[in-house]
Amino acid sequence: MVTQISEWLDERLGWRSVWETIFLRKVPKVNWSYTLGSATLFAAVNQAVTGILLTIYYVPSPDQAYASVQYITTQVPAGWLIRGLHHYGASAMILLTVLHMVRVIFYGSYKYPREMTWFTGVGLLLIVFGFGFSGYLLPWDQKAFWATTVGTRIAEVTPLVGDAILRIMRGGKELTAITLARFFGVHVWFLPATLIILIGIHLYLVIRIGISSVPTREE
Amino acid sequence: MDEQKKREYYEKYQKDKEKGIFFFPDLLFKDAVVSLLLFVALILLAYFVGAPLEEQANPADTTYTPRPEWYFIFLFQLLKYFPGSMEVIGVIAIPTIAILVLAALPLLDRGPKRHFLNRKLWVGITALLMVGVTGLTIVAFLEAPPPFDAFRGDETAALYAENCAGCHGPAISTSSGTNLHTLIAEGEHEGMPAWSADLTSDQIDALAGFILSPLGSRLFADNCGTCHQADQLVASNPLELKQALEEGDGYSGHEGIAVPVWSDTMAPEERTSLVNFLIAPDGQRLFSVNCAPCHGQSVGFAGTESDLRSLISLGGLHLAMPPWQESMSDGEIDLLAKYVVAPATVPEALPEYQQLCSSCHGDRVPKSDDFDQAREIIAGGGSHQTMPIWGNILTPQQLEALVAYTLSAANGTPAAIGQALYSQYCSACHGDFGEGGANPALSGDIIAPISTAEYLKTRDNLTLRSVISQGQPNFGMSPFGSTSGGPLDEDEIDAIVTFIRTWEDNPPVELPPEIQTTAMPLSGPEIYTSLCAQCHGEAGEGGIGPSLLDASLQQTSDREIFESISIGHPITSMIAWGEILTSDQITQIVRHIRNITSSEQSPPAGEVSFSTDVLMIMEAKCNMCHGLLGGWDGTTYRSVMDSGDNAPVVIPGDPEGSLLGLKILGAQTKGTVMPPGGKMDADDIQIILDWITAGALDN
Repeated sequence: MVTQISEWLDERLGWRSVWETIFLRKVPKVNWSYTLGSATLFAAVNQAVTGILLTIYYVPSPDQAYASVQYITTQVPAGWLIRGLHHYGASAMILLTVLHMVRVIFYGSYKYPREMTWFTGVGLLLIVFGFGFSGYLLPWDQKAFWATTVGTRIAEVTPLVGDAILRIMRGGKELTAITLARFFGVHVWFLPATLIILIGIHLYLVIRIGISSVPTREE
Repeated sequence: MDEQKKREYYEKYQKDKEKGIFFFPDLLFKDAVVSLLLFVALILLAYFVGAPLEEQANPADTTYTPRPEWYFIFLFQLLKYFPGSMEVIGVIAIPTIAILVLAALPLLDRGPKRHFLNRKLWVGITALLMVGVTGLTIVAFLEAPPPFDAFRGDETAALYAENCAGCHGPAISTSSGTNLHTLIAEGEHEGMPAWSADLTSDQIDALAGFILSPLGSRLFADNCGTCHQADQLVASNPLELKQALEEGDGYSGHEGIAVPVWSDTMAPEERTSLVNFLIAPDGQRLFSVNCAPCHGQSVGFAGTESDLRSLISLGGLHLAMPPWQESMSDGEIDLLAKYVVAPATVPEALPEYQQLCSSCHGDRVPKSDDFDQAREIIAGGGSHQTMPIWGNILTPQQLEALVAYTLSAANGTPAAIGQALYSQYCSACHGDFGEGGANPALSGDIIAPISTAEYLKTRDNLTLRSVISQGQPNFGMSPFGSTSGGPLDEDEIDAIVTFIRTWEDNPPVELPPEIQTTAMPLSGPEIYTSLCAQCHGEAGEGGIGPSLLDASLQQTSDREIFESISIGHPITSMIAWGEILTSDQITQIVRHIRNITSSEQSPPAGEVSFSTDVLMIMEAKCNMCHGLLGGWDGTTYRSVMDSGDNAPVVIPGDPEGSLLGLKILGAQTKGTVMPPGGKMDADDIQIILDWITAGALDN
């Protein structure tokens, strides 16, 4: 029965060749440090799923943001878990991305023919920091407000365009409702879209070229 | 890499793959294990720690010390090493270069070698960078105020960590002479808030003690913390503290409690630290806690610093007061006693006080709580209060701070300076005690009292300052701040605010007075006297504002004068009176100004007369002591010229050679300035000097 269904589907979807290309490929024998990339991907999926769940209750306005986060934490069933996973997942994401990158540098994995994989990786690192910075404001508590005030003020230091950057980030001279709406938009639309595109290219390259092998002393 | 090397790489990689494993299930299994562990870790964190949520954002609360999330904190720390204009290097240049190098890594490190030992440069740079970032993160967390429970019951240290450490770091060094209590209570410059809004006065005392003697705070927590709370003991009576420290369970408060004799268990330096913590060596505070009960807000003292130090440390009977019952009626003494208990309630006693008491006591009233006691002291005179031997009680640091403050305050405390400025600029409209009254500028309007507890509690210093500085043109109050064209600079405004604040403890006015509102006077001279004369002088001679007798006014048309009054001058403290007065009233004023400026011919200053001018000053300022206590006598022309141990004190025509001139100027080589409470008004001094210059005639 199962065979029949899979045959029927394969005839129409061609899933078997996809499966073979992605999963049934040979890879060099590697150590545990090579799991950092997939762990980062897992953290990203975790962030996406819990993030989507959070948007069901979260309201991105200064009047209600704080109350809605409180509501999620105390009233929504398993809300504390969703928010906890998202909160600590963010830290895990940053940590894993950096460790993954350090591993790549250590083994020289960014070298020919994986340069493009590295470039997309650096892009992903920046996006992950962007997520961390934009998501920090959303709970609209004291820490969120003041850390973002200071964080955006730091951007103002940039020569020539500093003031413009500050205004663009805050949506005005002060940190207001506009800033919150802006950060929310960036956090849930702009950054995820970019993230998905870059992860797509990154994974495509990893599968196409294959993971690097652990270099020997002579290499 | 050339084609040859590329081919070699592929061949090697192909071999690795053949020797290798399948992605599914071998490698994916490892991935799954790690991801699962990660997921479990996240759930445990969410369950046992939980995502933090602080108070709701409050944009008005600038006291909050912002700290970024841990992964940005290294950047935050980096910023600290690039202060001021170098900031751009720390936050923009370094991170940008780091990111660019990172992105371009495959283009920079292009060799075929992959093993880390063959790429020491790049692996080394990476390692250094990681160590740097980790190090900065660790330093940032170490420098951060530690959590409260880390203080083992040292509540003051916790208070400090919570409120001060965010900006000031683990310790603050202050220059001697800083009035810490006031500075903390009132805040300073941008960023430092007025803590009196959040902390009690006792807590501020404790903080000042902690800042000046952190070791003392530690000792307090270890030795006294079990029974006492720091903020209940700070700024208490040093005599009591000294006893408690020296007498062990023999001290009355420690009776029956197993309290060690602290002088046995603590080294002398430790005891000094402890006392310095409990009573911070903060001159202003020491004075207000220990000296103000007898001496009022400050002591008039014109001697040297070492004189003052020995006077304070020796204590004892340092001044004798005449027995006033010999020269005053009971009613007068009653009035004075009442005044001493509560100056605000008997303003009519002020002239008497100034005449009799202020030459020794200064302008500041010696404080007394009990009418009968005050009366007895005034009537009996003599050495009415024995000063404690402070040298045995205070620590050297405290003594030093107290001497420095007393000397500086002898020139007038901010409150005393503020009082003088208040009576010069404010009391015309707000009353001597801030009781308010009919608004001279607005018909039917009443100026509410500004000295009620309610008024003062609901306005912070910033508000008071800006009201004084910018005025309230809608109500006819001109701006007084020099930034708005007024006569007062910032320090002077601060002094007035300090004076106004002294009402808060003991408001002279509780309820708005019932005031008959008078109809706005319609005649030009009356309006001029109540409004314009405040700044331009009764006869238009000028004052705060410019003189109206200037010849240029003759060339100005009535129309232009009218507009000047009606529209005002935006950069000066001349407000737009057109919003308050009717055009009819302004026309009247213009006519009045025309009258006084055309007819005005100021009378020549008359010659100084001994009998009418000089003798009056001597009666008021000298004779209450010199008449009664012997020596030089200032009651008649003859005695002024001939009496005294150092006669003659007046050399006609030579004020700088006359002892009298030197003494009133404070330029004498022996003895103290006269009167001993501080110099007389500059005008009075000038009259006497002029009289001597003119030949010291008996006219």
